[in-house]
Amino acid sequence: MNKDTNSVLDKTEQLVTEGRIQRVGDHLKREWRLYVMLIPTIIWLLVFLYKPMYGLQVAFKDYSIFRGVAGSPWNGFEHFLALFNNDQFFRALRNTLIMSGYSLLFGFPLPIILALMFNEVLNKTFKKISQTIVYLPHFISSVIIASIVMTAFSPSAGIVNTIIGWFGIDPIYFLTKPEWFRPIFIGTGIWQEAGFQSIIFLAAIAGVSPTLYESAVVDGASRWQMIWKITLPSILPTILIMLIIRIGNILEISFEMVILLYQPATYETADVVNSFIFRQGILGGRYDFTAAAGLFNAVIAFILVMAANALSKRYSRISLW
Amino acid sequence: MYGVKLEGIVKFYGAVKVVCEIDIDVQEKEFVVLVGPSGCGKTTTLRMIAGLEEITAGRLTINGRYMNNVAPKDRNVAMVFQNYALYPHLNVAKNMAFGLNIRKQPKEEIKLQIKEVSSMLGLTEYLDRRPSELSGGQRQRVAMGRAIVRQPSVFLFDEPLSNLDAKLRTQMRAEIKRLHKRLGATSIYVTHDQVEAMTLADRIVIMNDGRIEQVGTPMELFNSPANTFVASFLGAPPMNMVNAKVANGGDKLIAEFYGQKLSLPELPALQNSVGREIILGIRPELVRVADKTTPNQISVDVDLVETLGSEALVHATLGNKPFVIRTKTIGKYHSLDNLTGFTIDPNLISIFNAETGTALQGQAS
Repeated sequence: MNKDTNSVLDKTEQLVTEGRIQRVGDHLKREWRLYVMLIPTIIWLLVFLYKPMYGLQVAFKDYSIFRGVAGSPWNGFEHFLALFNNDQFFRALRNTLIMSGYSLLFGFPLPIILALMFNEVLNKTFKKISQTIVYLPHFISSVIIASIVMTAFSPSAGIVNTIIGWFGIDPIYFLTKPEWFRPIFIGTGIWQEAGFQSIIFLAAIAGVSPTLYESAVVDGASRWQMIWKITLPSILPTILIMLIIRIGNILEISFEMVILLYQPATYETADVVNSFIFRQGILGGRYDFTAAAGLFNAVIAFILVMAANALSKRYSRISLW
Repeated sequence: MYGVKLEGIVKFYGAVKVVCEIDIDVQEKEFVVLVGPSGCGKTTTLRMIAGLEEITAGRLTINGRYMNNVAPKDRNVAMVFQNYALYPHLNVAKNMAFGLNIRKQPKEEIKLQIKEVSSMLGLTEYLDRRPSELSGGQRQRVAMGRAIVRQPSVFLFDEPLSNLDAKLRTQMRAEIKRLHKRLGATSIYVTHDQVEAMTLADRIVIMNDGRIEQVGTPMELFNSPANTFVASFLGAPPMNMVNAKVANGGDKLIAEFYGQKLSLPELPALQNSVGREIILGIRPELVRVADKTTPNQISVDVDLVETLGSEALVHATLGNKPFVIRTKTIGKYHSLDNLTGFTIDPNLISIFNAETGTALQGQAS
């Protein structure tokens, strides 16, 4: 390239940069209100999600509340080694994965099925009533839900034991038996959240063009065929995005419900990573050890969400980023 | 009896009557266009034929079979929608095969039909693409291909070209016309575009407010409009409407308007009608522009001349009402000073009853 060409290229580059700066400036000038509205969220993120990350270093320190985060001495990966040698942690991790796996297996498809069912209901009154009924548990406090569950499964007056009593079966102490904890916990979670989670899928279904169905009707498709061949493929991007998010939260099991429902007799199947952290960290005062457990939890969740996103991107061209 | 027959078809949405006892008889292999302004009931009529809307009253027969309560899939019709209605998750081949797969046709047969139709529509190289990877014209062709592979007895088109730009619309219009000639299938086409109606139709059905205003071949409707609505709907620019009064002009009748006079043709409907209010329908392209020297001209106040190359549109006023002239002699009259009015052969005027708007008689020629 000769000197003239280089000079023209430099000038072009300069013009492109200037144009870009001009465009960004114009955009900010035009949309500054939107950016102002973004500020509270950014502050919230910084204060509640980024600033606490400073405290993560206690996972690598021999933390003392008297010496503070900065003053406590470093101790490398000692807490992680202790964690990996802790049977209770692995039991909690296993329980978390099993319960999350079952929740995903049974709890993830149900909101989709519910949304598909609501979409097929033609009677508006019935639709509204049934939607309200299934959305309602989401708005009830976990404490009240736990109380309802404890009452329902009570061996003396619970409705479940009353019903099985009609068949001549002796009362079962459901909440003290480890083998019953997982079904009860997962069932409760589904009952509480499936309806509310179906809203997002209903919204996605509402976005499917009605002419696709009309075209299929003229082509001779049945309702069932339309669900399989039009509705589900059309909402697949939403399903996959929700699945990726769900996989990212797989270790974030609803631990308040665990804490409300479990007891030492059911720790074997009920104790999850978060309840383990709560017991060890908050109740036992081992902040550094549980910070290591929490960090480990977060790293696994990060790997899972990245892997799910990559798989989804590869096989369906749909991804979060 | 083949074709599609609508007898006294009525459609109510709640208490609103949107289609009022219409009768249409579409012959086998005929291309009929339903045209009219938005909300005139043309799409509702088409959807009733497809089975997508319930028929409130009346009788629909397709190929001689009573169809009112027959499911859409059993009517043997295929529909091309305004927004194409292509399945975004399926490629072109699968979109075209959708209806055949639903009907569980043998895979080999489907393949063969897709191959044939895609080659007919120039879609062979796009079979693996998804709709989002196609242009508007290609999507439109896929939508038509999907209808063609079904080999239906009736094609229904619901404003299929309205989402395309002007140039592509002209191309696709010609393609649809060619396809109809080739396939020879009975087709019912809905549009609000009178150019599409004029160019595509064997017969046009003009609708307004849920009623049929007139049915006929494009030239019948253009030359002999049944009423002022049809007259002003067909033609671009539309027919000029001039309110006038019949007067005695000695040996023949004349029309008087805004202090000007125009000879009227000798029509039986005008006998003994001196003093009667009428509307003169004057097509913009049937007048001859005049300058100061032209005798017996109708004077107009010229407002604006739009030059379109081979012709020009003269926007004028006649008695404070707009009057448009379409002329090819603009070279001579491009100066507003020279253009003072027009002359017209009385036999080319349409005359309407001023009270009812119905034609007393259309153009004589």
